[in-house]
Amino acid sequence: SRCPDNSAFKQQRLPAWKPQLTIASVLSSFFLTGAFCLTAGVCLLLSANSVREIQVDYSDKCSDCSKLRENSSNWNKECHCSVNFTLNEDILGDVFMYYGLQNFYQNHRRYMMSRSDAQLLGRNVKIPRRYCVPFSTYSNGTPMVPCGAIANSMFNDTIDLFYNRNSSVIQVPLLKTGISWWTDKNVKFRNPNSYNLSSAFAGTARPPYWQKPVYLLDKEDERNNGFVNDDFIVWMRVSAFATFRNLYRRVRRVRHFAEGLPAGNYTFRISYNFPVTRFKGRKHVILSTVVWSGGSNPFLGIAYLVTGTAATLTGFVITGIHLKLRKKKT
Amino acid sequence: CAGEENWVDSRTIYVGHREPPPGAEAYIPQRFPDNRIVSSKYTFWNFIPKNLFEQFRRIANFYFLIIFLVQLIIDTPTSPVTSGLPLLFVITVTAIKQGYEDWLRHKADNAINQCPVHFIQHGKLVRKQSRKLRVGDIVMVTEDEKFPCDLIFLSSSRGDGTCFVTTTSLDGESSHKTYYAVQDTKAFHNEQEIDALHATIECEQPQPDLYKFVGRINVYHDRNEPIARPLGSENLLLRGATLKNTEKIFGVAIYTGMETKMALNYQSKSQKRSAVEKSMNVFLVVYLCILVSKALINTVLKYAWQSEPFRDEPWYNQKTEPEKKRNLFLQAFTDFLAFMVLFNYIIPVSMYVTVEMQKFLGSYFIAWDEEMFDEAIGEGPLVNTSDLNEELGQIEYIFTDKTGTLTENNMEFVECCIEGHVYVPHVICNGQILHDCTGIDMIDSSPGGSGKEREELFFRALCLCHTVQVKEDDSIDGLKKSQVPRKSCIYISSSPDEVALVEGIQRLGYTYLRLKDNHMEILNRENNIERFELLEIFSFDSVRRRMSVIVKSSTGDIFLFCKGADSSIFPRVKEGKIEQIRSRVQRNAVEGLRTLCVAYKKLTEKEYSNVQRLLQNAKLALQDREKKLAEVYEKIERDFILLGATAVEDRLQEKAADTIEALQKAGIKVWVLTGDKMETAAATCYACKLFRRNTQILELTTKKIEEQSLHDVLFDLNKTVIRQNGSLTRDTFSGLSTDTQDYGLIIDGASLSLIMKPRHDGSSGNYREIFLNICRNCSAVLCCRMAPLQKAQIVKLIKLSKERPITLAIGDGANDVSMILEAHVGIGIIGKEGRQAARNSDYAIPKFKHLKKMLLVHGHLYYIRISELVQYFFYKNVCFIFPQFLYQFFCGFSQQ
Repeated sequence: SRCPDNSAFKQQRLPAWKPQLTIASVLSSFFLTGAFCLTAGVCLLLSANSVREIQVDYSDKCSDCSKLRENSSNWNKECHCSVNFTLNEDILGDVFMYYGLQNFYQNHRRYMMSRSDAQLLGRNVKIPRRYCVPFSTYSNGTPMVPCGAIANSMFNDTIDLFYNRNSSVIQVPLLKTGISWWTDKNVKFRNPNSYNLSSAFAGTARPPYWQKPVYLLDKEDERNNGFVNDDFIVWMRVSAFATFRNLYRRVRRVRHFAEGLPAGNYTFRISYNFPVTRFKGRKHVILSTVVWSGGSNPFLGIAYLVTGTAATLTGFVITGIHLKLRKKKT
Repeated sequence: CAGEENWVDSRTIYVGHREPPPGAEAYIPQRFPDNRIVSSKYTFWNFIPKNLFEQFRRIANFYFLIIFLVQLIIDTPTSPVTSGLPLLFVITVTAIKQGYEDWLRHKADNAINQCPVHFIQHGKLVRKQSRKLRVGDIVMVTEDEKFPCDLIFLSSSRGDGTCFVTTTSLDGESSHKTYYAVQDTKAFHNEQEIDALHATIECEQPQPDLYKFVGRINVYHDRNEPIARPLGSENLLLRGATLKNTEKIFGVAIYTGMETKMALNYQSKSQKRSAVEKSMNVFLVVYLCILVSKALINTVLKYAWQSEPFRDEPWYNQKTEPEKKRNLFLQAFTDFLAFMVLFNYIIPVSMYVTVEMQKFLGSYFIAWDEEMFDEAIGEGPLVNTSDLNEELGQIEYIFTDKTGTLTENNMEFVECCIEGHVYVPHVICNGQILHDCTGIDMIDSSPGGSGKEREELFFRALCLCHTVQVKEDDSIDGLKKSQVPRKSCIYISSSPDEVALVEGIQRLGYTYLRLKDNHMEILNRENNIERFELLEIFSFDSVRRRMSVIVKSSTGDIFLFCKGADSSIFPRVKEGKIEQIRSRVQRNAVEGLRTLCVAYKKLTEKEYSNVQRLLQNAKLALQDREKKLAEVYEKIERDFILLGATAVEDRLQEKAADTIEALQKAGIKVWVLTGDKMETAAATCYACKLFRRNTQILELTTKKIEEQSLHDVLFDLNKTVIRQNGSLTRDTFSGLSTDTQDYGLIIDGASLSLIMKPRHDGSSGNYREIFLNICRNCSAVLCCRMAPLQKAQIVKLIKLSKERPITLAIGDGANDVSMILEAHVGIGIIGKEGRQAARNSDYAIPKFKHLKKMLLVHGHLYYIRISELVQYFFYKNVCFIFPQFLYQFFCGFSQQ
């Protein structure tokens, strides 16, 4: 017949949960959330604080270098500088070396757009790419490889770390591979197919700010050369904020450094190529360990603490109001 | 007759496409549309442009189109695909849906347009497709067929030139209606005869009113002067109606295709929009402002930030050549547009589609509801629109009809009062005719000689003065009829009162048998058949509120019987026991019974011929026929002799009182708008607990206004109400207080029109304001003696008052359609008085009691759901876009 079905769905009798806002449920949910957030926040903060970190600002440490780099015509003049620092305690475990930049807008839209993923996959490297303008071709038509503003502005300081032990200077062994994402290294970046790299890139030119062409980024290691160079890949992954750090090297745990970095005096020897004063930026070199919650950033912990505190406070306020109102009623 | 009349709005039709005889009139063939019905909106060719145009008229679609175009033209943070694809999807889905619906319409149209029709050409019967029918063709329709177009009824296979028709698909009335063939042509029974007919028809241009038609047929016989006959709606067979009980008829097509009355009535109703949708549009405007201001702020900040060159163009991030050359203002403008595009998701694309889907699917829950299914009719609620679901939960005012809505419209004859003596049928039989109920319980039985005579006259009057038809049961055929005098038969009428009366009279001993050859047959108490010749029927209308018949008895006496509302009968009575009957009528009315008074007058032959002449004149008029007829009726129906009164009980719908109480508890104000008289209506209101014992009744009626001026009455009432209101403390506002006085207002149509009437001295709004103020402070309002249009007026008055409350109108009859269409939500009751209300409503329910669940459960749920959905959408989009906005501060306002 035309009589409707007597099913739970059609008669809107499906089980539903509609919590009643009683004082008990509201207060308990506030206090529970508060307690959870507070514990999480404390754990995160503690773990972030356990990270050992050394940060050295070297933008003005060698003033002549920064002066020299302000004029772009001096691009091929070398400039070296060294920065000393002292470790009062051992840094145990894996130690990572980062470079940090301030006021460098890698997240600017015009900058971010200026790359060619197809080219970085090794496809048709000689074709000029529209997105890369104005870092696409030279005026004579030779295509820049890799093209675009991101690749052109690649961080090109070299930083070495030396351990001064009883007046002998030991170079800390640093690994320059294994610092990029697996997908970047193996999927998103590929060298063009050819019997050797220099022929693959024949007919192209290096970006204007580079000192050497892309196929000479790492002469020793074929698997770290060209587009698949780890430093290059790390740079090409642009950062979300204007102040950021990128992984540069890992300390190789051998001999003296098997446990990490021992306490003592150290020296960074830096070949200063990357100009930062022109955009009022700073650059740092950072040594840091990692823990389960990441690096030394306390933000997540603080956020949890704030949320937890707010929830708990609200809980107390509600309790107060409730007590007051109940007294009034009776 | 009046051939010289100048008709601007008329058409001339040549029956069978024959020229009139020379010299009569010039033969001007007119062009009419063919009989093709086009209900489809699009054709194959114009579908894409027309549909796209219609869709982009929606603000949201247009907005996204603009965004899409901006993305195509300038370099923007998101690719055009991201907004183009959803838009394309939405547009395509809608287009496919509308296209499919239109295809169905095309199919239905084709089926109708191609179905075969018989018509007469050169004396032969020809079958053709319906769409080839032209105005002036003579058509033959057989039993159970639908009429292919509007026809003038020429002749039928029934000897008396009548046919029976049901108009179920037109106005929902399933009763058989009788139509009459044109007098001069009803003798033509076969194709050759009908083809020989030589006539022209003059009639008005097509108009949508189903019940109005005026025209004239001129029949030419040889070379004589043409004979002119009036044509009325009783001669017009409408497209869509079905022929019943008649073997075949002939008719001539006068309106075809889109000009038929049915097609003219299919004009779509104006779309109602829900309050949520309106507030959604307000939200959208607010969000648009937020969007524009965000984009502006960002653009300004961008240029402030970039004013230092090391930020504008650092060495690592140089501009391209064209960028450097671009005009600053143009650049700023494109930046602004790019920000707009970046933030455009703050206006949710998907919301419209989601909301529409939610409403559409949600509306099924009403139709699926088991508790709202009515076993008796075998039908559940109908949802005609899904746009107004959430309105059901926000209703503040309910306007309800009384008859058929609050009451069952299942009439029962309770008593009659003849000359002050009260008669009550012994057995109360509910709509069924029982064979054994012959007894009469005479409460006050002292009929003298003349009383006896009056009594019989009264019963005969009730037996004769009606438009009831007899439907014989199929199992009983002609043979049995004569053998069994009291056969089981069913009376059918468009008015249930009449059925109740005829059935009641049957129980009192007088049985109406049938109408045969213009003679009404009555079986009287002595089982003798009396025959009366039916001379005229002045049918019932709501203005006159009465109907009359003129009959000629076998002895040759001519009687005029009239029956109608007391108010329309008493002023026309010159003798009879008026006082006694009036008091009885008033007593019955207070008890909630429907009363009718019966009166008669004897006409002499001369008087009758005078009447006949007047009527003929009025009926022949082409213009203002209604008005002229009314004038004639007015002239004829007077100087009656009062016979008595009847009382019919109209029982309350089940749980009507319960429902009204629940609705009032929910803070909804219930108004009853009825055409009934005040006492009856007030009684019903008490019965259904709209007024309670402690309710103080304020009356605003004609009687009161006669005593005082309208001005004074209004101010007095206002003062009463306000005094009470002032004494109310604020916290009793919750309605929980039982000790405070609540007020009920009774107003009648006449006083209402006084209030509504615009006044000359410029203070027009004043009375309305006071009236509204009084109404606002009354818990219940009863408006009686209302014309259908006044019902709509009241609804409009409340709808447009300061608070803009959301109104609901509920009713079951054609007289409620206007208010159903006027109110925010219109609900029709699938009831006895036809389906017109149900078809015009937004929702239709089988019973009044279902309103409770409809509003308090479904409406409530819908409102909560839709508001949560919409609010969630806006919240979600703000959450989505605000971080995007903040990020601009960190990425140098570069639209990243």
